[in-house]
Amino acid sequence: MSSSDTPDTDVTEAEAVEVDELREGVVARLREVLGDGVVEHHIVPNCDVWIRIRPDAWQAAASSVRYTLGARQFGFLSAIDWQPSPWRRYMDSEVDKAVHGDEPKPLPEMTTGYAGGETRFQVFARVANIIEHWGVTLKVDAGDTDPAVDTWTKVYAGADWHERETWEMFGVRFEGHPFLRNIYLPSGFEGNPLRKDYPLLSRFTKPWPGIVDVEPMPGTDEEPSSEEGA
Amino acid sequence: MTAVSDRQKLAYLAGQAADARVNVELETEGMVLNIGPQHPATHGTLRIVARLDGEQVVQAEPIMGYMHRGYEKLTEVRTYAQITALINRIDWVGSFANEVPFILAAERLMGIEAPPRAQWIRTILFEMGRMANIILFLGDMGIQVGALTPMFYAFRDREFILNQIEAVTGGRFHPNFDRIGGLKDDLPKGWIEDSHTAMAKVREICDIMEDVLLGAEIFEARTRGVGVIPPDVAMQFGLSGANARASGIDWDLRRDTDVGLPYGQVDWKVWTHPDGDSFARYWVRLQETREASLIVDQLLDTIPSGPVMAKVPRIIKVPEGEAYVATENPLGEMGFYVVSKGDLNPFRVKIKTASFNNLSITPWLLRGVYVPDIITILGSLYFILGDLDR
Amino acid sequence: MGLGLVESGKMPKPLSKLLNLSRSYSMWVYQWGLACCALEMGAAFGAPRYDVMRLGVIPFPASPRQADLVVISGTVTDKMAPAIKRLYEQMPDPKYVISMGSCANCGGPYWDSYSVTKGVDQIIPVDVYVPGCPPRPEALLEGVVLLQQRIKDEDIGARWRGEPIVVE
Repeated sequence: MSSSDTPDTDVTEAEAVEVDELREGVVARLREVLGDGVVEHHIVPNCDVWIRIRPDAWQAAASSVRYTLGARQFGFLSAIDWQPSPWRRYMDSEVDKAVHGDEPKPLPEMTTGYAGGETRFQVFARVANIIEHWGVTLKVDAGDTDPAVDTWTKVYAGADWHERETWEMFGVRFEGHPFLRNIYLPSGFEGNPLRKDYPLLSRFTKPWPGIVDVEPMPGTDEEPSSEEGA
Repeated sequence: MTAVSDRQKLAYLAGQAADARVNVELETEGMVLNIGPQHPATHGTLRIVARLDGEQVVQAEPIMGYMHRGYEKLTEVRTYAQITALINRIDWVGSFANEVPFILAAERLMGIEAPPRAQWIRTILFEMGRMANIILFLGDMGIQVGALTPMFYAFRDREFILNQIEAVTGGRFHPNFDRIGGLKDDLPKGWIEDSHTAMAKVREICDIMEDVLLGAEIFEARTRGVGVIPPDVAMQFGLSGANARASGIDWDLRRDTDVGLPYGQVDWKVWTHPDGDSFARYWVRLQETREASLIVDQLLDTIPSGPVMAKVPRIIKVPEGEAYVATENPLGEMGFYVVSKGDLNPFRVKIKTASFNNLSITPWLLRGVYVPDIITILGSLYFILGDLDR
Repeated sequence: MGLGLVESGKMPKPLSKLLNLSRSYSMWVYQWGLACCALEMGAAFGAPRYDVMRLGVIPFPASPRQADLVVISGTVTDKMAPAIKRLYEQMPDPKYVISMGSCANCGGPYWDSYSVTKGVDQIIPVDVYVPGCPPRPEALLEGVVLLQQRIKDEDIGARWRGEPIVVE
């Protein structure tokens, strides 16, 4: 059940839509402060809320969500590369053939997730209000070729290390960060590993050895077939 | 029960800052001390570069990545079953607790609910993982401070819990037992009585540790007032778990979020401590271990009967969507943000680990601290390298 | 007496047997615990249940310069590899290496990762491989016993000259 901005509510579905008042209130309060800095939102009722922010309102969103909405607990900050990987799972095991068929399928189109998105790279962050017991995931578009967003370190000091990690894994620059440098990878490492066009070379040089050990699903008496546990 | 008053805390912080300022003004040469990456006191392969002035730290920075195995990239090419086998090596001491948030996220995306018996057993194994983890901490903190004996007690008593976990799952601390929709197998015969005995042993070791370490003068002198973290700073850096509760933040994901595990049906309490120093962190974890054994005792007595696995398709393809599920793991809040495109493997899995946030406070915290206190503070923050580096 | 005999290769059999026997039952193990296998190694070496000291192996050397055996347990990453090489070079001869766990043997479950060294034998020579993920403490003890048997059958002269070790 999504209550996004685009009006597409079915008449029959409208009767079954639950209204999550707590999270609707969160979105409304954020919209009050940021105006049209809030681009889109998506609520899964009694579960979670996703809000997409306009790129130039990213830092303002951080301060609003911390001071006005009271979400003082910092969760994490990272990025998603929405372009589908050109190599999928690097192999044709029996499970892949059973699911996708034998012929090589064309690469799917790039689609984004909840609360939309227009560019290939998206930075997302999670903060929580531990007094009212809700958490929100904020997303922002970072760009297609040279992704960059503002830094959150002036509002949440803990974002420092998360932004360093996102920088080295995706190549997303954070404007205003004190010192972006490697945190996990050795200093001579070339490339941004978590981008979808960064290949796992071991999977090219050595194919998957195949099914070694098979267990049937609990509760069934079937013989383990070659489609299990690929 | 605040042994360190606010005035004392402020005086300590101000004294450290003043000392550091004076030393800088005197322009004494600083020495760079490199602790690690292989060092008995750093819980694994962590390297800390500390710029010292005399015995005080002017600037300290942890350098990580010596155990970075690239989990988030590996999850993109593995099926959900394969990922379950991989992720219990993130927090390698807290066995079963690593699998639970990922499985719950996948179940939320698929819209499947595991049967009540499975949720009960999951919670029991989860709490056992917590006890195994924290008992190691209780002994390990002794070593950081200089007491060697508690470590042997800890290893000996962990064996009881590991025996129980092994009796059910077959693995001492990489169980690979959780499945989307439930569990792999049911409990063996006689397990419940043996677990009650094991819980009694856990309470015994907690009492021993309380006497041996918490009651020791040297331990108190080395940990009281050391590494004070004010609650607002703790929330800014994203501290979670016992570290946050030891600073007075009353937040426990088992009580505050509902992910399907039956914590609401058991009588238990959340322990907090207002001080925020290393002593508080040790104290909170000790009380939590005892509380966990009481939780498990109550759960063992009320296990519902029924199946342990819901009906799931044989080849698991998770429908499109995003989900974030976080649970109160032994180290703190561990969460999996799963992005799925309807395929056999997830599109992106962001693993939020507690140790990353817990350690990110150290550059701020270690300024002005004496060198032996570095070890005490790192020991009390308690991170596991697999959890830190992923 | 000892060194001249070793260099010329004319070490009498009983003497070499005695030296090998004493060497294999008085090893000092440096525990290079990197990851999850470090816990099983800790349980095997330091804990009272799977005690390794009954085999004559003492697990508490103060530094690698005082150790003859190193047990590498856990995943070896590319960032950590130079430190392991330096550790190995610090140990005095004759030295032995046990690779514990599938991550140290061959990369293990992280065989396709971008930051993992696929096996510690790419960096240092390994004498005994203990498989498992993680291997039970008893498996590690069996690996130590296997190594002790190999040491008892060793030819000290060949080792001194640097010839490769032959396993029957």
